[in-house]
Amino acid sequence: MARLSLASLLLPGLGQYLDGRRARGLGILGVILAMLGLIWWSLIPQHLSLESRPIPLKGDPANLAWLVVPALIWAWNVWDAARPETARGWIPVSLASIMFFVIGWQAAEINPPVLASNVDRVMLIIRPMLEPDFIQARAEEREGWVELLVPCPAEAPMTTAGSDHAIGVALDAPCGSVGDTLTVTATGLTPDVGVELIWQSPIGDFFPLRQADNPTEFRVEKPDAQGNLTTTFVVPNAIPPGIDPTLPQEQRLYIRQSRPLGGWELSTNGRFILQGIYETIALALMATTLGTLGAFPFSFLAARNLMSSNAFTLGVYVVVRTILNIVRSIESLIIAIVFVVIIGLGPFAGMMAVTVHTIAALGKLFSEVIEGIDPGPIEAIRATGANWLQIIRYGVVPQVVPAFTAFTIYRWEINVRASTIIGVVGGGGIGFFLIQWINLSDYRAVSAAFLAILVVVQVMDFVSAKLRERLA
Amino acid sequence: MLEVQNLHKVYPNGTRALTDVSFNVEDGEFLVVIGLSGSGKSTLLRCVNRLIEPTQGKILWDGVDVTAATGAELRGVRRRIGMIFQQFNLVKRSTVMTNVLAGRLGYVGTAGSLVGLWSAEDKAQALRALERVGLAEKANARADALSGGQQQRVAIARALMQNPQLILADEPVASLDPVLSHSILQYLEQLNREEKITVVCSLHFLDLVHRYATRVIALKDGQVVFTGLPQEIDKARFKEIYGEDAIEVKAGLSA
Repeated sequence: MARLSLASLLLPGLGQYLDGRRARGLGILGVILAMLGLIWWSLIPQHLSLESRPIPLKGDPANLAWLVVPALIWAWNVWDAARPETARGWIPVSLASIMFFVIGWQAAEINPPVLASNVDRVMLIIRPMLEPDFIQARAEEREGWVELLVPCPAEAPMTTAGSDHAIGVALDAPCGSVGDTLTVTATGLTPDVGVELIWQSPIGDFFPLRQADNPTEFRVEKPDAQGNLTTTFVVPNAIPPGIDPTLPQEQRLYIRQSRPLGGWELSTNGRFILQGIYETIALALMATTLGTLGAFPFSFLAARNLMSSNAFTLGVYVVVRTILNIVRSIESLIIAIVFVVIIGLGPFAGMMAVTVHTIAALGKLFSEVIEGIDPGPIEAIRATGANWLQIIRYGVVPQVVPAFTAFTIYRWEINVRASTIIGVVGGGGIGFFLIQWINLSDYRAVSAAFLAILVVVQVMDFVSAKLRERLA
Repeated sequence: MLEVQNLHKVYPNGTRALTDVSFNVEDGEFLVVIGLSGSGKSTLLRCVNRLIEPTQGKILWDGVDVTAATGAELRGVRRRIGMIFQQFNLVKRSTVMTNVLAGRLGYVGTAGSLVGLWSAEDKAQALRALERVGLAEKANARADALSGGQQQRVAIARALMQNPQLILADEPVASLDPVLSHSILQYLEQLNREEKITVVCSLHFLDLVHRYATRVIALKDGQVVFTGLPQEIDKARFKEIYGEDAIEVKAGLSA
């Protein structure tokens, strides 16, 4: 006994190992080594640090105090080596759990107060999301514009005006400087329907003019009963940084009027969402079909019970199985990045990625179905003198059809979900639009896309569940 | 004639299933193999058509070395040996007809059979085989809709499709009740007498052995401990084969 304790004192777990409790000995050694490694790592000062995100407590000498945990476990291990029947297993397990929990907490940078401290930022996203941009009131948009130079050049120019619906726009001056008050006259407007005044900067950006006394609200003016409008405005400073403000630039004032026609129509983003959903469903359907067809032959080659008859087939089994396992462990999103490089942006790349992942995932699932079938019929068919393909066709296929069908439908459900996100890396479908709206902070479109995805996924889940129910 | 010479089988886990087993089966015999569970009966039968690879030894059938056959040659041997199993081994989700037609697989082309195309001749033969076991009206039923006895008759019909010269029956009645046991063995006996098909059959119940066997071999721990006529198995022999504590149980209903 003393000899085993001494062994464990010198090297944790050695006593247990010599005592024949090898797994326990190796486990103790592994846990203590992992702990010492972690403590050592947490003591090293950070060489590479991102200013804003230092790893908490990394390099803090106080971490040395953690040594007490492996020391306690070391002591427990000496006790365990001598008297395994009295040494309680929960002692080192709970000690180790506490330490790994605290270190895990640090490494994951868990910081609950942040959850509550950014409410105002959250509201900026939530508020537009409550108004999904999918449909809009039907309306007729009309606009006219007038162009002027800001600031005025030495030689007075002519103003030019344009319109798409016979809205005439004129200014009282051909040019103006920032801060000048000008008068604009518009004709041909629809009477009594609000008009927006929108400024276009030299590089083409649009800025709706704001109310002088309430800058958070846009200006909306009402034309008179004849459809004429005369109003004044202040020339805004719309020259982007980096451009010489003394150089006269062409800028425009737009007069825009939106006349409600009654009823509702798809908004522009709504049409994009429909197109994206349409692409997503088609992509998922094609990927599932092609993936199932691809997985089918592989699954037989990856089924041990069919491939163990000789060394060659066993080799094929090992190779196919390994490839399926490797491919399966790569997210379709990552495979999609590769296909986007090969094929280019669009649904084809996404479909290829989801197909490849489906082949690997279903190939594995199918092969496990095959491995679980009743070997009796296979034996019986083999006994008739049938060859390998005939054994598959008559002994295996009839047994696996229900499970294969169920897995395929289930996979279709997964693929619909995968296809909604595959566009984020350029693989087509709704995700392709979604990521752009997220980048543009167009949260009304984002929320509409979310809703569309929700509906599609729910419908697919329901249909898939019903189909599988009927098969069972 | 089937000649088994010095057959050994050692499983990869070290189990010695058969040790130096030798015996001959003349054409037209109804040979019954008896012995306790685990005595090597199933292994022996499966070695004959190479569902299990023997470790050592030779099996000659009509002068052909079965143990040396490979690929198409082995399939050619197998297709003339029908096999019947304790668990029937039908494809449960397929129809009775498909199960019976599967017995022809060794004779037909791969492409046609893969898409399920069968000649009118094969279909007619399948129907005749089903008629023979009294199940013609069940041809389109699913195999799992049939009772155990019916399933075993379908399995016999499947074996018949092979036009076999030899039928291996591995405990064909162990999953059936006594009445059905006799019914199934009578079909085998009929084939043995009328078609001159050699039958090698393993059985549990001694009264069935006495009733059907023309000759008996007994296995104990993978070795042949008795070869002879069924009536030679007296009390002493019985204890020798089955051990001192064994008590004979009858399948009942002597037919």
